[in-house]
This record gives sequence, structure tokens and C-alpha cells, in this order.
Amino acid sequence: MENKLMDSKYFFYRKKITSSIMMSLTFIAALAAIIPLIFIFYYTISKGVTYFNFNFFVAMPKPVGESGGGMANAIMGTLILIGLGGAIGIPIGILSGTYLAEFGNNKFGFLVRFMTDVLSGVPSIVVGVVAYTMIVIPMKHFSALAGGIALGILVIPTITRTTEEMIRLVPSSLREAGLALGLPKWKTTIAIVLRTAWKGIATGVLLGLSRAAGETAPLLFTALGNRFWSTNIGQPMASLTVYIYDYAKSPFEDWNQQAWTAALVLILLISILSLLFRIITRSKYKTN
Amino acid sequence: MKVKSILAGLLLTLSMSVVANAQLQLNGAGATFPAVIYSKWFDQYKNMTGVQFNYQAIGSGGGIKQITEGTVDFGATDGPMTDQQLSEAKSKQGSEVLHIPTVLGAVVISYNLPGIGKGLNLDGYTLSEIYLGKITKWNDNAIKKLNPKLNLPNKAIVVAHRSDGSGTSFIFTDYLAKVSKDWSGKVGKGTSVNWPVGLGGKGNDGVAGIVKQTEGAIGYVELAYAVKNGIHYANMKNKTGKFIEPSFASVSAAAEGYAKNTPADLRVSITDAGGKDSYPISGYTWLLVYQNMKDGAKAAELVKFLKWSLTKGQAYATGLYYAPLPKQVVKLCEKRIALITANGKKIK
Repeated sequence: MENKLMDSKYFFYRKKITSSIMMSLTFIAALAAIIPLIFIFYYTISKGVTYFNFNFFVAMPKPVGESGGGMANAIMGTLILIGLGGAIGIPIGILSGTYLAEFGNNKFGFLVRFMTDVLSGVPSIVVGVVAYTMIVIPMKHFSALAGGIALGILVIPTITRTTEEMIRLVPSSLREAGLALGLPKWKTTIAIVLRTAWKGIATGVLLGLSRAAGETAPLLFTALGNRFWSTNIGQPMASLTVYIYDYAKSPFEDWNQQAWTAALVLILLISILSLLFRIITRSKYKTN
Repeated sequence: MKVKSILAGLLLTLSMSVVANAQLQLNGAGATFPAVIYSKWFDQYKNMTGVQFNYQAIGSGGGIKQITEGTVDFGATDGPMTDQQLSEAKSKQGSEVLHIPTVLGAVVISYNLPGIGKGLNLDGYTLSEIYLGKITKWNDNAIKKLNPKLNLPNKAIVVAHRSDGSGTSFIFTDYLAKVSKDWSGKVGKGTSVNWPVGLGGKGNDGVAGIVKQTEGAIGYVELAYAVKNGIHYANMKNKTGKFIEPSFASVSAAAEGYAKNTPADLRVSITDAGGKDSYPISGYTWLLVYQNMKDGAKAAELVKFLKWSLTKGQAYATGLYYAPLPKQVVKLCEKRIALITANGKKIK
């Protein structure tokens, strides 16, 4: 009797100790996962804050080797490039995702799904080279348009697959309700399925666009870069990422500082984008 | 509804921005070395005339590639295009490519030897032996002989070179090929060669970085990069046996010495120049332009700019560690610029 009690006590403590060891291990692992993020924020903020002022947003870059100046053109350029990438990638992504979920249970659907997965694994620099070969060389011109198309291609798989997954989550009873009321399938898809899955799709779009905003490689030989203010999508265009790449590896102290500020601005830009999407999707949810 | 109006607004701004920007812009890409003065020039020029010359420093190799593919309005390089590259560009673009020199620069031999500051002396042959991996210690007799006053350490030499296609490498290897038969036979000259020994760094900044961080390192960089990074650089023995410190004056001297023999197409190497004040590892940097351009307005602006760069533009050179062109060469440049046409028509 006593022996048994001892045993259960022993097991109880052993379990407790194991549990607390495992707890602390997982806690450490979780901490390790967020440490890089903390460092990223710490460095971009502490190093980027030097140039983080009004001037940085409205002034143009100074000639190489001169201190001061801002990145107005690169901030605008990044916004336009994301816009272009979105204008190309969002419609294609959402439509193909919808197709895959609602009509794609056949060989073609399988093929598209497979290709999208492959596309999502293609390194962005490869997409850049392809855009250079297919658009820049025939057009005989580096252009923001070529950059936008490269970014558009990059966001398609993310948006397609999230759209598909989100639509699959819509209960089939909702579809059946629409069909029972006499709606044709296309109308059911647009008015019921897409509306219901909207929030999730928007998250996919946001993920895609955030990735596009952070890309450098596909822009290096498509949008190229620009030292001047340019909003013409037929011309080379500046972007924050390409400026970070150029400035961070330059031998000029001042430029290294500005690269950090550009990184900070880029992070803020993506955060604002994400916030904007949250607000839009929330209000949409309420009206439903 | 909100989403739709935001999307519509986005599309509207995009489509408007296509129409709005009618300002003339010329695009160019190429060498990193002249990027400092080019961006200064283009900034000044835009302020004066409103015309935008967008220059992206992607390297000499990239500049040649883009002018060959016709994706830029002008290119830039520190190593002249070969005959084969020129004929390839012509067959692809239907126009000759002209080399227009803009300024001159020095490739300096920078080193990192604690305890030894400025004033290391080197000659071409010894340098080639170091880069061939035959001289491996700083207190090698060949180096000692050139520096009797310095107390050279018994330290391994860490050789640094460029890893990318580079005009700086071209000037450097062109010089070594001239002063060492061994080098020209085993390695040769070019924007990228098979280096027998050493560490590769990307860009002038990359090599400067290796030298700065590695004790016992030696590397070649453009003068401006050595000065701005505060690294010491060697005096080079020139053809007349004098040790010359690299500076815009000694580069100009090298160019003056060669000016009479400049060929009409202006593709000339001025390494190992004669003349007692010449720095031996000097070189031109060129803008690459099409002899016949398709866009009349762009051609006219490019010609105007080139003329400006040869006259008023030269005044910016020395302050940024470049050497201005010799007068004779400027005259030759003007003759070349006069050849530029737009759709076969002369430009006024």
C-alpha cells in the first residue's frame, strides 16, 4: 500500500519535472524563433533612425559620394511597382484560385495546381532573368512595367493557392442554398462563395504583395533603378530594395546609414499595407 | 465598395502616371569606377537643362552587355570593347558603337601592413610575381630590394582581386601583361581572367574591404576607393625607373605621354606609359554610344551632353580624384562625337 503511494508520488514528480523541462525547452525555442526578428527591428530602428526625417521622404538622392538627400523617388517607385505587380497578379491569382476550387477537379486543374506549386518554388532572380529576356530585350528598354510583370508573376502562386484554400473552407451548404434558390453556378460563386471567403483571400493578397515589396533580385535587371523622379512605367524606376542593395555595399558611410533608413521605411510600408488590409477586411466582415 | 474604389483609384493613378511623365530621359548603365563623377555630372546637368541621364553602375561587363543588347541609350566601361564585341554589337543593333573617353583614373596597389604606413615601393615585375603566387612573403628579397629603408615583416601576402567582370581588372592585367612575359603567357589581360592565386571581392568596394580587414593583404582598387577608405597605396616604378605616387597629376602625365599616339577610335591603353612623371597603371574610362541613334531628340541631347562633359564637365574631375582628359584627346573626342547621327542624319 505504502509502496504504491510512493510509486505514484514518484511518477507525479517525474512527470512534473519532465513537463517543466519540456516547457522551458519550448519556451527557449520560441524565444530563439523571435530573436532574429527582435534583432531586425533593433538594428533597422537604431541605425535607420538617423536619416528618418521628413527630408528622407521628399528629397531626391544626392550624387554618389555626397552626403544628405532622400529617397522620394524610391518610395514612390516601390509603391508603383507593388501596384503594378498587384494589378497583374491579383486578378489572375484570384480567378485561377477560384477556378481551381470550384471547377478544377479535373486533369487540367491538377496540372494548373502542380504548375502553381512549381512556380512558387522558382527563385525570384530566375523570374527576373525571364522578364529581362522576354520583356526588356524585345522592348529594348528597362522599364517599371517589366519589373511590375516580374513581381506580378511572383505573387500569382501565393494568391492562387490561398484563394483556393479559402474557397474550399466555404461550407458546401452555402453553395447548395444559393443553387436551391435558383442561382446559376457562376452567380453563386461570385455572390456567395467569394464574398464569404473574402477575408482569407485578402490575407493571401497581402502576403503576396508584402513579398513583392521586399524583392530586389527581379528588379535588378527589369526596373533597373533611377536616380531621378520618374512615375513613367515605360522608364526605369527606382525602388527601395534596389537602393538598399546599392547603398549598403557602397564604401560611403553616409550611404550605409541611408540604406538602414530605407530598410526601416520598407518595413513600415509593409506594416501599413498590412494594417490597411486588416481594416478593409474587418469592416467588410461586419456588413456581412 | 471601399475596396473597389481603392482599386479603381490605384489603377487611375497608374494609368495617369503613364501619360504624365513626358520629360526626356536617357538611360545608361556600366562601370562602377566613374559612377562618382557621372552621377555628379548628371545631377548638375539635370539642374541646368532639365534633361535626365539615368546612370546605373552595374559594372563594365554589364555596360558592354547592355549596349550590345540595345537596352540602354548609352553604356560605360573602363576596359575597351574588343573587336569581336564591337562587331557583335553592330550586327545586333545595326550601328557602330563609339568609345568616347570621359576622364582618366589610376588603379592603385593598396596594402595592409601594420607598422608600415605610406611609402611602399613596388615595380611591375615584382607585382606580377606576387599575383602569380611566386612571391609569398612580404620580406621577400625582391620587395626588400625596392624598399631598403622599410622593415618588412615576415608575413604571408594575401592577394585580393576582383571576382566580377571589371574594367579595373582590365587596366591592372593589361599593365601586368606589358611588364611580365610570364603573366601575358599564363594569365593574359581582360575584364575577368583566371587568377592563379588570391581572394575575390565584388566591385572596387569588395576588394577595398578585403584589404582593409586583412593584415598582409594586397589589392588593386581605383584611387578614389583607396582614398575614401583610408587605405595606404604603393608608389609604382614607371618606365623611366622613377617611383611615382598615384594622383590625378601623374595620371594626366601618363595620358599626355600617349596623347600623340591615340588611335582615331580612341580605344587606347595607357598603362606602362613613358615619361618621367607618368603613373604606370592609369587608364581611360569611356562612354559607349551608338554612332547612329534611332531617336532624334535623344541623339541631340546626348551630343549636347558629351560636348558639355568635354568642356565644363572636366572641371569636376580633380576634386573627385579623377584626371581630366589631355587637350589633344579632347579634340579627337570632338571628331568622334561629330560622327553621331540620328537615323542617318547629322546632328546640328
